[in-house]
Amino acid sequence: MLLIPCPFCREDRSEEEFSCAGEAHIARPEKPAELSDHEWGDYLFMRTNPRGPHRELWVHTAGCRRYFNVLRDTVSYEVLVVYEVGQPPPDPPGGDES
Amino acid sequence: MSDGPGVVMRESGARGWWNLRGDGDEPRFRDGVAAVVGVSPPIEPCTWHAAGDRRAYWLGPDEWLLTAEHGTEFESPLRGALHGRCSIVDVSGAQILVNLSGAQAGEVLRKSSPYDFHPRRFPPGRCVQTNFAKATALVAANADASFDVVFRRSYADYLRGWIADAGREYGFLRGSLGTDHPTRRQRQPAQDDD
Ligand SMILES: [Zn+2]
Repeated sequence: MLLIPCPFCREDRSEEEFSCAGEAHIARPEKPAELSDHEWGDYLFMRTNPRGPHRELWVHTAGCRRYFNVLRDTVSYEVLVVYEVGQPPPDPPGGDES
Repeated sequence: MSDGPGVVMRESGARGWWNLRGDGDEPRFRDGVAAVVGVSPPIEPCTWHAAGDRRAYWLGPDEWLLTAEHGTEFESPLRGALHGRCSIVDVSGAQILVNLSGAQAGEVLRKSSPYDFHPRRFPPGRCVQTNFAKATALVAANADASFDVVFRRSYADYLRGWIADAGREYGFLRGSLGTDHPTRRQRQPAQDDD
């Protein structure tokens, strides 16, 4: 079980209080109607799925119910950084992945 | 173990409840709330403020749960007192508040939730929203070492039963907090022996 530091509750909380909402920084296309089915499918379904640091969107479902971003290592499960939505994604520490 | 109950659950009578949202960094917002409610909305995460029977619980960086005696009118006075982006919603009737006291009340919390309810981490004045059994609840630590647990009315039967079951091994007593509702009949404390 992970302990995840919620940036709003400002304490480490149990993983089961949270839900993961998938990869972070997926920008919705400005004009969906102008996309081909292939491009729309890419937006909906295609993800980087890296081995190593991964930027994810999490929500503190049972707690403050706020969304925030997590940089998490998909190999060790270590939570490296949490940061608020709207902040630029941090670089993976010492990493060259993704 | 002593003969007395290790866990006593008392359920509050009807109360007024409001969900408040706004900018806690804005002094005019905090002052407006304090003027109407009698307590300021806490800015420190996972804490609550009280003055008498009136309480303000932190729910999120811009969200609070207010409660007061039944019949209190907060909604229109707050609408008059607050400016800028904010919302006040009367959610009375949606919540149940139970008070858990007794030497083993904390054990019941620890059996029910993944949150660390150690007294060092959860002293009086703290409140958290967390998983509670298979539902969610707001748990607040009181100055008298008891705990208030607030949950949705739709979970009430389930969670009353869960708490009674979790408390049984310590000796469990179900009582009444009394009520601020003049027409509501006061229940007598009774031994839970189901
Ligand atoms: Zn949180």
